[in-house]
Amino acid sequence: MRGAARRFGAVEAVRDVTLEIPRGVICGLVGPSGSGKTTLLRMLTGTLRPTSGELRVLGESPWRFRAHTRERIGYMPQNFVLYPDLTAEENVSFVAALFGMYWFKRRRRVREVLELVGLDDVRGRRASLLSGGMQRRLALAAALVHEPLVLFVDEPTAGLDPILRGRVWTELRRLAEDGRTLLVTTQYVGEAENCDLVALLSGGELLAFATPDELRRHVYGGEILDVRTSADVTADVLAGVPDLRDVKQRGSRRLIVVSGDAAAATPRIVEAVGRTAGTVASIERYDPTFDEVFTILVERHAEQHAA
Amino acid sequence: MRIFRLPVRIAAVVRKELRELLRRPGAVLSLVLGPLIVMGLFGMGFTGERRPFEMVIVVPPGTEFSRDPAVYQRIAGPSARIMEVTEDLAGPRERLARGEIRMIVVAPADARQQLERGEQATLIVETDELDPIEHGAAMVLAETLSREINSELVTQAAREGRTQLGTVAPTAIKPELVGRPTRAVVQNRAPTQPSMLTYFMPAVLALVLQHLGITLTALSMVRERLSGAIDIYRVSPIGALELLVGKYATYAVLGLAVAFATSFVAANALGIPLRGRADIFAVAVVLLTFASLGVGLLISLVSDSERQAVQLAMLVLLVSVFFSGFVLPVHEFRMPVAAIAYALPVTYGIEVFQQEMLRGEIRDDWMLGVLGAIGAILFALSALRLRGVLRGVA
Repeated sequence: MRGAARRFGAVEAVRDVTLEIPRGVICGLVGPSGSGKTTLLRMLTGTLRPTSGELRVLGESPWRFRAHTRERIGYMPQNFVLYPDLTAEENVSFVAALFGMYWFKRRRRVREVLELVGLDDVRGRRASLLSGGMQRRLALAAALVHEPLVLFVDEPTAGLDPILRGRVWTELRRLAEDGRTLLVTTQYVGEAENCDLVALLSGGELLAFATPDELRRHVYGGEILDVRTSADVTADVLAGVPDLRDVKQRGSRRLIVVSGDAAAATPRIVEAVGRTAGTVASIERYDPTFDEVFTILVERHAEQHAA
Repeated sequence: MRIFRLPVRIAAVVRKELRELLRRPGAVLSLVLGPLIVMGLFGMGFTGERRPFEMVIVVPPGTEFSRDPAVYQRIAGPSARIMEVTEDLAGPRERLARGEIRMIVVAPADARQQLERGEQATLIVETDELDPIEHGAAMVLAETLSREINSELVTQAAREGRTQLGTVAPTAIKPELVGRPTRAVVQNRAPTQPSMLTYFMPAVLALVLQHLGITLTALSMVRERLSGAIDIYRVSPIGALELLVGKYATYAVLGLAVAFATSFVAANALGIPLRGRADIFAVAVVLLTFASLGVGLLISLVSDSERQAVQLAMLVLLVSVFFSGFVLPVHEFRMPVAAIAYALPVTYGIEVFQQEMLRGEIRDDWMLGVLGAIGAILFALSALRLRGVLRGVA
């Protein structure tokens, strides 16, 4: 997509988003509630027209998807929108038929997909009688039943307990390994870890788009080391050490150090600490949480705007 | 004091209900203004004027009765419109069967002989009415005609100073015939003799089918729009036409099932016949359902909540009861209020059902065409709108 934007009256829900997603990856659209993730996803599915910009999915504008292209796309909406009075099996079968699947294949495929999401034993139960987690899995089954090449999944883990969230991500990973492309929105920033590519969104703007590792490096400007000392220490002790890009104090005996080359910097840091503040108790690579990455990016973005 | 919390809780509910109502202005409009508008239209449009009976007078050849329509128009008064006076009975009967006229009055061929035999001369009044109210009106008119003719004869006799009626010898007239030399006998040629139950049953069926079609479609589409289920359609390859045809087919089958069940019960438990062909009746049911589904879809596309959809469906029911001919004849409303009746599928449904079930043939078969046209127009409009909804006009 290039320069994609969507406005609702005076509100700019999505602003000038440009990104390209290769096939066979999980791309996470990550950001807090109201950041424009769902709007972006709906534009990509063709259910919402962009105000400006260009979008292409499988080489076609979502706005003008041909029936054949639609057959290769799956969508799991944020809310449970299937039919509460139909059973799990009937719901999935209905969606399969909408995508043009013939009865014989449909029967087999519905069973398969319900088994895949662990709902095989409740396939005869009405959707209204399923738990919230089961309903999410049913929606996922409905989105998968026609074996789409591209799958748009809106908040698949919202409202699920951590165990179920883990299962959903495992399932999504399996689909990606199967060669499918997945666009997954989540408001749990930490879930970005599960994606191959992460698009961080805030206030309708794309803050960053990269792999999780690249994002960490991008945020801190290099490789990050977590240095713990045996005695109290300040960031000044590393003032003379070459190739250090940043040093942050995290407690009286802990420093977070950003370096262009962590392997080369490690002995220098040990030596500098040994000269002035006792010994280094531990030094190891530091993986900041995505909450941390996101917070830094949002703050930096706000500063840039203010400037 | 717990008692003081009572008004707090009640007031909270009142506030919530009011806010919910006021935030759906469309619902408030249809809830409050809708019935008021219906009442207003009814008041403005209802004339209460009965349609005069289009009447042909048949005077047998060789009788002394007048051939001047004006004479009979004066006798019959405003309740009838004398179309012609003729000596031929077959022609008027054909016109009666086609519904071009509503009454034939056949003057007695041997009035004098009857009176001489001491019998009342008999006016045969032929009608073809399924509607018991119209049949009653025809009987009253026939009685009025007979009375007026009697009065005319007596007055004429008195004016001429005779002691006899016409040229009949005074000795031949029974005293009780002097005041009532003629009597009217009404013969209804309709295949089903009118009764309230028989006449209103097809009308009820038409109304039920229309309401069923409207309510089911209106609710089904609104629910899908509001629940987000419409997104499933939006993403899938299904087109607006396929979706509409699917919905129409479902409710057409349902409509047929209801019509079949109702007709079966009506025929077997209530003795209401289906004199016409079952296949034509089925076509009428499908066309009425088709047109009604269109109204329902229209409602679903303008409603912003299920509540409003239900209210609008009820409003259409109210309008149908008042204006469709279900209770009051359509012709008793003046234009442009009568136009409402002609826009309602049930107006044609009632007429067509009554004719096919009770008469055995649809006299006004153009009504089937109108039903089809209403359905087709609404279908096209709905398809266009739904196409917009599915493909992201939102």
